[in-house]
Amino acid sequence: MDYIVEMKNISKDFSGVKALQDVSFQLKPGEVHILLGENGAGKSTLMKILSGVYEPSSGSIVINGTAFSKLSPKESVDSGISVIYQELSMIDELSIAENIFVGKLPMIKKFGIPVVDFKNMEEIAQRMIEKVGLKRSSKDLVERLSISEKQQVEIAKAIASRAKVIVMDEPTSSLTGEETNKLFGIIRQLKYLGVGIIYISHKLHELLEIGDRVSVLKDGKYVGTKDIKDVTKETLVTMMVGRAVNERHLKPEDSIHTGEETLLKVEGLTRKDRMVQDVSFELKKGEILGFSGLIGSGRTELMNAIYGAAPIAEGRIELFGQEVIIKSPYHAIKLGIGHVTESRKETGFLKNFEIWKNISLSRLLKTSSLGGTWGLINEKQEKKWAEEYKASINIKCASIEQNIGELSGGNQQKVLIGKWLAAGSKLMIFDEPTKGIDIGARGEIYKIMRELAEDGVGVMVVSSDLPELLSVCDRIIVFREGRMNGTLSIEEATEENIMLAATS
Amino acid sequence: MMQKFNVIWSKYGTFGILILLTLVMGILSPQYFLTTGNLTQVLLQSSVNILLGLGEFFTILIAGIDLSVGSIMALTGMIAAKLMVAGMHWVLAIIIGGIFVGGLLGGINGFLVNKTGLHPFIITLGTLSIFRGLTLIISDAKPVFGLPQAFKSSIAGWLGPVPIPVIIALIVALAFIFITNKTKLGRNIYALGGNSQAAWFSGINIKRHTMIVFVISGVAAGIAGIVMTARLGAAEPLSGSGYETQAIAAAIIGGTSFFGGKGKIIGVVMGGLIIGVISNGLNILSVPTYYQQIVMGALIILAVFLDRLFGVKR
Repeated sequence: MDYIVEMKNISKDFSGVKALQDVSFQLKPGEVHILLGENGAGKSTLMKILSGVYEPSSGSIVINGTAFSKLSPKESVDSGISVIYQELSMIDELSIAENIFVGKLPMIKKFGIPVVDFKNMEEIAQRMIEKVGLKRSSKDLVERLSISEKQQVEIAKAIASRAKVIVMDEPTSSLTGEETNKLFGIIRQLKYLGVGIIYISHKLHELLEIGDRVSVLKDGKYVGTKDIKDVTKETLVTMMVGRAVNERHLKPEDSIHTGEETLLKVEGLTRKDRMVQDVSFELKKGEILGFSGLIGSGRTELMNAIYGAAPIAEGRIELFGQEVIIKSPYHAIKLGIGHVTESRKETGFLKNFEIWKNISLSRLLKTSSLGGTWGLINEKQEKKWAEEYKASINIKCASIEQNIGELSGGNQQKVLIGKWLAAGSKLMIFDEPTKGIDIGARGEIYKIMRELAEDGVGVMVVSSDLPELLSVCDRIIVFREGRMNGTLSIEEATEENIMLAATS
Repeated sequence: MMQKFNVIWSKYGTFGILILLTLVMGILSPQYFLTTGNLTQVLLQSSVNILLGLGEFFTILIAGIDLSVGSIMALTGMIAAKLMVAGMHWVLAIIIGGIFVGGLLGGINGFLVNKTGLHPFIITLGTLSIFRGLTLIISDAKPVFGLPQAFKSSIAGWLGPVPIPVIIALIVALAFIFITNKTKLGRNIYALGGNSQAAWFSGINIKRHTMIVFVISGVAAGIAGIVMTARLGAAEPLSGSGYETQAIAAAIIGGTSFFGGKGKIIGVVMGGLIIGVISNGLNILSVPTYYQQIVMGALIILAVFLDRLFGVKR
């Protein structure tokens, strides 16, 4: 028996949407097997099937010679599978020892009553955390640990549960270089003990250092598996983005815009929390500027900083030729900035408002005084605006009196775009504008963006969807770890070189 | 069908309950309950509750709460009374002692909520006690008598057949209807209650609006304190104890959503009247006060439960 885990021909449908199609994956004992793919390629879904969170639609899983058609979370744990998620799932209020033994606390009988055997538990836990090099007492509360230390506790917990397979989902995303080296040391130890490790990460240089083999997924399909010694960064990126995109770009040549007049100039911008560092760029009139990079690389964080939703430590912003200091979204609106945010539900629409109230909200604020608190409203006028944008950007609804929650994702997004158009925005930020939106509405949203740019409105688009950026933008800035890691004109941009700039 | 019922319920449910209760009481006690004199009495007894509930409404609308309204009511009444006794003209005394101090105390709540980031429940639970303590200190725990007759007859008197406290509550209700329906401030407060993050990204200054909401609640409680003092003819250091329950009950029986973002001023007025009808009716039916408390408590739970059951899906 060569493999400790063998996932065969796994498919997974979510109400018709194919998240995984016929994916196979094998893990040998003592190897670090990298799972690679873009956001949404299906890595997490595959791992959730292995950990018993999801049931596969078809396919089978063999663990240590035992075949399953599906796993329950308990069967998964009992088979020796342990998953360390990116957002560590520890209970902050409990001690390290309690976290390690949560759900299976050792008991002892005192006066005939079973109680937790703290002494024994803390001793075992202490040995476990020493094994992974954590210099702490097992009685310490988890809330006092750093992220790197918490991760070590998670690994200790996996060892304590005699895990044969440990899945690590982007384990280094919030670690420093030194902490990463420490983690790699632990991983090498685990390999020596014969534990198989499935390692998910986007950081290519890291993968080349720690991995033994790599499997690549794209759009829910299996692309291939290679030995790490046979690959380079470039071959990995090609595998990730696929060979399908051979054209240089999807935009017709004659529709590429390069403007003269500068609408927005950002110089040396650094956020107080340093999520964005030393960013400089210019947005010209008539062009659509795209922002690419992995999630958390600083794209959205930059937009929020420009919009006044996150404090800036250094740098200057020039808007329409005037230096501005934007302290709040209210201020940004007054200056003519509109922001279609990343998450419609959380930071976008108001679920308690009708369509027309959602559309008029920011316009009312823009024309108000005393920090947004002063001014009267005129419902008739508001409804007129709403009707106007319902017609001009084709919001499909029975009536503007409908609650926005009743609309499809695409139409909700159009309402939010309508909100900023109604407010007369001269600079528009679109953050993941087509996330969860059907193809028809996507096309319409792209058209609106293009028309806005042609009308002289500044348009910036953040997107994880590379084909989207390639077909919409005139220029693409790529972020990596809070910094700009390249600016590509549309003529030179390809999925490969964007991915390369985003990951290395 | 169900959808339709939901819509009708959310629009007219509270009003229906009020009518139903009035009819039931009218049938049970036609000779006492359904008289002009008694119904006027219901309005008069409800006016302080409604005033408190009207302020409370805004704090619940932003998914918060104000537990300190009863204490603000006592402190403002006490300060206004002290000012009058010290010789200040009563009109000036109620503007400074009632409205201004009420707004100031509400502002303290708003300031603390904004600065600490704690839930308003915690902050106002604290100030509930602090403001009560201040009232006891400045009054030495004794009632203040000897208020000018002009004050008592102007605020607690009658305008023809209508008690002036009722008129005051009506004016405040109309002013608040104006704020909620016709001003940007009102719209923003609804937005803030619906989803504070989305409101912030739409350009609403969360802290400033939170501050204003608590000032409004404080002013309404201050006005209630003046009315209460005038009706009693004296400022009682322990007046208004436990009134926060009544204020919250008026708001939520009136259909204000505890999750924020939904509710109407007219609903609060209805809610206050429902409480008034029940306590007046139970009095007439000679139900002991202790039992009335049980009815009130059950009613609060029932109102929110029905709202959950039939409320239009959010």
